Amino acid sequence: MRAEEIDELASIWLAREQGGLTSEEQCALEDWLAESSRNMVAYLRLRAAWERAGRLAVLRAPMRPAPRPKSPWAILRIPAFAAIVLALFYGGNAYLESGRRHDVIYSTQIGQTRAYQLPDGTRMDLNTNARVRADVTRTERVVTLESGEAFFDVTHDARHPFIVHAGNRRITDLGTKFSVFLDGDNVRVLVLEGLVRVETQPGAVGPAPVTAEAGHLVIAQDSKSLVFTKPDSEVARELSWRNGMLTFDQSPLTEVAREFNRYNARHIVVEGNARKIRIGGTFKADNVDAFVLLLRQGFGVSVKNQGDKIVVSR
Amino acid sequence: MGARSINEWFMREVLPLEPMLTGFLQRNRCSAAEVADLSQETFARVYEAAQREQPVLVKAFLFQIARNLIIDHLRRQSVVSLETMADFDWINLPDDKPSSERHAAARQELRLLQSALDELPPRCRQIVMMQRVEGLSQKEIAQQLGISVETVQTQVAKGMRLLAQALGGRRASVTTEARRHNFLKRRRDAR
Repeated sequence: MRAEEIDELASIWLAREQGGLTSEEQCALEDWLAESSRNMVAYLRLRAAWERAGRLAVLRAPMRPAPRPKSPWAILRIPAFAAIVLALFYGGNAYLESGRRHDVIYSTQIGQTRAYQLPDGTRMDLNTNARVRADVTRTERVVTLESGEAFFDVTHDARHPFIVHAGNRRITDLGTKFSVFLDGDNVRVLVLEGLVRVETQPGAVGPAPVTAEAGHLVIAQDSKSLVFTKPDSEVARELSWRNGMLTFDQSPLTEVAREFNRYNARHIVVEGNARKIRIGGTFKADNVDAFVLLLRQGFGVSVKNQGDKIVVSR
Repeated sequence: MGARSINEWFMREVLPLEPMLTGFLQRNRCSAAEVADLSQETFARVYEAAQREQPVLVKAFLFQIARNLIIDHLRRQSVVSLETMADFDWINLPDDKPSSERHAAARQELRLLQSALDELPPRCRQIVMMQRVEGLSQKEIAQQLGISVETVQTQVAKGMRLLAQALGGRRASVTTEARRHNFLKRRRDAR
């Protein structure tokens, strides 16, 4: 078969898949793909192009949905009855929605991590000591990270981009998984899947917008946005807090202490040569005592409890 | 590697090389149909190879396959001329660049997508926009435009093919056709 004929078949399969396949159709598609590698690559190539075209929705108009193309003859073909019902439906909803604000506050205590389901189906995990204000309705999806760190697994909705405000940055995404951390003056955005855009707040002067994809860490500072590529293992490590765990890979003890201190009221203070110790492994974020015991046994450090401080030295 | 991860690898590492492959085939005077055919065959062979073992130097591997296919292709043609073989673009094989350069910058990507979309026929473009950019379902589109779901699917399928063509650098460009024509003419005149 010629390449163009295969492309045509592949495109018809994909178009039907977009509309939803029955289980028998799904099997038939799988059979067709298994028939020849040319079928498979034609299918993957078209799917990749189609997915890329979806990026337009994020990149093009992050703030408002694309205007619906209106064609004068199209409306005439819809039966008048349906048109009236539709008008009532949309009009009615718009009226209802416009009258309300939907700000809802989500927060966690020190040491607590918690998962929430937002009204649009998006899953939001809050890390320790975090606070988020969310305005998520059918027409708008805006959340503000006021402190701490949050991970989002965003429900796909091309018409309504999901927007996170954090510090002086605005993060726009479409059906993806990423975390945002307000770390002092820095905003850290780590992308697990998909594509997000990080830019300054509208009207503000600042660096050009950056687009980050899976495995990218964006550190947004006042005057610049830095993009780093992280291996999968490191991304997983940085997000291990979602299971209540802290994972380190040869990290200096000072950094490890800083992480633990985010989760616990009693803070570890590292002094002297103990600063040079490097730690690898996975620990429960809220069990600082077990961690300190390990330090004492494993590294022979001395530990003094001073009120709400645990002083570690060597 | 599982079937799923091969597919992901293929979409991430191999397909972005398509514009380069298209350019390579066009420089070697392949017609539009030949470009479609040879690049599909190249991709299929890379895919099959990856099922056994994932190639490390993806770009070098892909162009090695493409090159061999072109040579086979030229040999099969009964009127193969030495001149064509001599003209073959051996030297300008794309070199291996770091993968970051492959990913177009966001703005460039936006421009590319926009122009690919702009080139679609109006009806097709409207339906692609409604499904892909606005996120309407095929049923909703059919209802709004007063057409059948099958018609929507036909247009979506056509849109996918045209988008893939534009993104893969396979425009039936006038210049390529003109170059080909001039080349053939030169060859005739030389005889």
